[in-house]
Amino acid sequence: MPNQNGSVYGLTILSPIIDDDKATPSHDLQIRRYLAALHTDERSPFALWQESHPNSLQDSRPGTHLARLVVMDDVIYVGMPACEEHLNSKYLIFEANLDCGLNGDLDAYLRGLAKTSAEHLDAIWSHCVGYPGAGNVNAFVSYMKACQIETTFFFAAVNDRTVSETLRALQTQKAVAEFITDHQGMEPVRLQAEFVAFAARVNAAPTPRAGAMEAAMVARREIKTGGRNE
Amino acid sequence: MSKLNETDIQGFALRGYNLPYARYVFLHFEDAEKARVLIGRLLGSITTGQRWDGGKPQSTVNIAFTYGGLVALELPDATLFSFPPEFQQGMRDRAAILGDTGLNAPEHWDEVWEGAPVHAWLGIQAQTPEALDACYGELFALMGETGGAIVLAAQDAASERIAGKVTAREHFGFTDGFGNPDYLGVERSSQPGQGKLMPDGSWAPLATGELLLGYADEAGELPVAPVPHILASNGTFMVYRKLHQNLATFRAYLDAQAPLYGGGVEKLKAKFIGRWSDGTPLELSPDAMDASIVADPKRSTNFTYGADADGTRCPIGAHMRRVHPRDAFGFNGKLIDRRRITRRGLPYGPFAVEGEPVTDDQDRGVIFMALNANISRQFEFVQQQWIEYGNDAHQGNDKDMLMGNHGGRGKFVVQGDRSAGNPPFVCGNLPNFVELRGGDYFFLPSITALAMIAMKLVDPR
Repeated sequence: MPNQNGSVYGLTILSPIIDDDKATPSHDLQIRRYLAALHTDERSPFALWQESHPNSLQDSRPGTHLARLVVMDDVIYVGMPACEEHLNSKYLIFEANLDCGLNGDLDAYLRGLAKTSAEHLDAIWSHCVGYPGAGNVNAFVSYMKACQIETTFFFAAVNDRTVSETLRALQTQKAVAEFITDHQGMEPVRLQAEFVAFAARVNAAPTPRAGAMEAAMVARREIKTGGRNE
Repeated sequence: MSKLNETDIQGFALRGYNLPYARYVFLHFEDAEKARVLIGRLLGSITTGQRWDGGKPQSTVNIAFTYGGLVALELPDATLFSFPPEFQQGMRDRAAILGDTGLNAPEHWDEVWEGAPVHAWLGIQAQTPEALDACYGELFALMGETGGAIVLAAQDAASERIAGKVTAREHFGFTDGFGNPDYLGVERSSQPGQGKLMPDGSWAPLATGELLLGYADEAGELPVAPVPHILASNGTFMVYRKLHQNLATFRAYLDAQAPLYGGGVEKLKAKFIGRWSDGTPLELSPDAMDASIVADPKRSTNFTYGADADGTRCPIGAHMRRVHPRDAFGFNGKLIDRRRITRRGLPYGPFAVEGEPVTDDQDRGVIFMALNANISRQFEFVQQQWIEYGNDAHQGNDKDMLMGNHGGRGKFVVQGDRSAGNPPFVCGNLPNFVELRGGDYFFLPSITALAMIAMKLVDPR
């Protein structure tokens, strides 16, 4: 299963963009305009995430670790000694790392997308050839799978954990670090009592919402990415 | 690789002069023609990289320009636009990239960085205060005579003297100035640990192009540089940052944490940066200072972190290990060879011995200057990723203990073992021990380039 690594799925979808010289702006530009206005954090329509319960660590409901949408116009000729080549169409590329469970259940993810973000999906993919709309979920899933190509190799630095598990782990890590900082040097009996109470609190705490861990960061990163990253 | 033409390279790029007194003067050009005359008259006074066979001079002079300065000097547009974007923008406009926010934001910088823009940096270093004043006096007179520049501000800095001896101590009590990189072709007394790590464990000089423009860098490419080539070649970029040190906060924090830490106050302090206060590397001597190591150039910078992956000797987030990770990121250190910078600088402000009452308001700190071929790839990367973030070092969001812009909420983990004298420890609620008080990005041209600027000969065609 080259698309799958443990319970993480590497999805690649290439949808040909409608070529219509009467459309102004062109369909590819309309997609670009729509994508440019989308949130890139947990508010993104592609950031699937569902509340899970503390004890359901095997949660395999769909979650998005990372998603990227790109409009690919053509292959860029970079000069000699490269040879000049061209694509037959402009493409919308949709890549995502997502939770699919051990059975590699892509359908559940695509259905989840159709359910939560139909309006956005239609606004984007209606510029693509043969798109049936997200209203007809079966047709939507079939369409996306027809456009899917094998990912073969992808980077997913999530240690085979679901989005919920990862959020929970971050929450626990932060809480433990704070506990240690606040309890260093405490005499053992009291420390143990405090730790037992602490562990119970952590275990009972709900899984944080997607994006909540960044907001709760000890020191929130305000840094922008630099220009060239050689 | 042939020997560098040291007489064409400003000495400041090639050598730490080890002169104890400095004055960094910030100039503004009002008239391009007069400014060019001034630079022409200064040419003979600029200290080059030529070796001092006849002993150290009484004083040295070097000069560098901001992008605004080069505009004011009327360099051709095609040349100006060929400078890298971060240099064109200047450090103030890069604040969000550098993490210069909050207490470090430009609104808290010294007055000189507002208003009339700084066009040039004139760096004077001297053996004595008298020599410094004399040199500055001559230069000041020349500026008056030519009308070439007005002085916006002057920043004095000086090494600490203890019992008459010049030291490399900074205000927090650490010993500074170890481990500047070696570069191919730069003659200096090099020592193991200062260049790049080779697969066989030896150390070799970095490619010249990591420091100087016009030479191949570690990727075998020429660094991004302005046109024409002759303007860029043998020059480098300099980052100037005035780093205020909150000495009272530092001492109070250390005093509050030390009783909680089982290893004692001196060891805790050493864990912050990775060296004991005398400079002994924790990696080589984790339990005590060892003056014999500090004094031995074959040992003082000669170590790696491979055998200390857990950080029980030198913490993984210690300042020194962050900014020069050696082999700590694996791949025989290959990931860091394009992230090295050469550092210059001196402390400023009054020194205070331990126990002497101090306040944060007192004007003291360190003038930090970094030289590199590519500000974006080298200095800015180190500042953004290794000082203000901890992911590469597997320290999550933790920032550099000493330099980080913590805002009172920082954390630093001291890894330890089961022994009583080396327990694990977490320093929480870190305040800003260091605050940025201003600075900018400068171009430090070659002697040839300076002459071409003075004679209005820069031609990008």
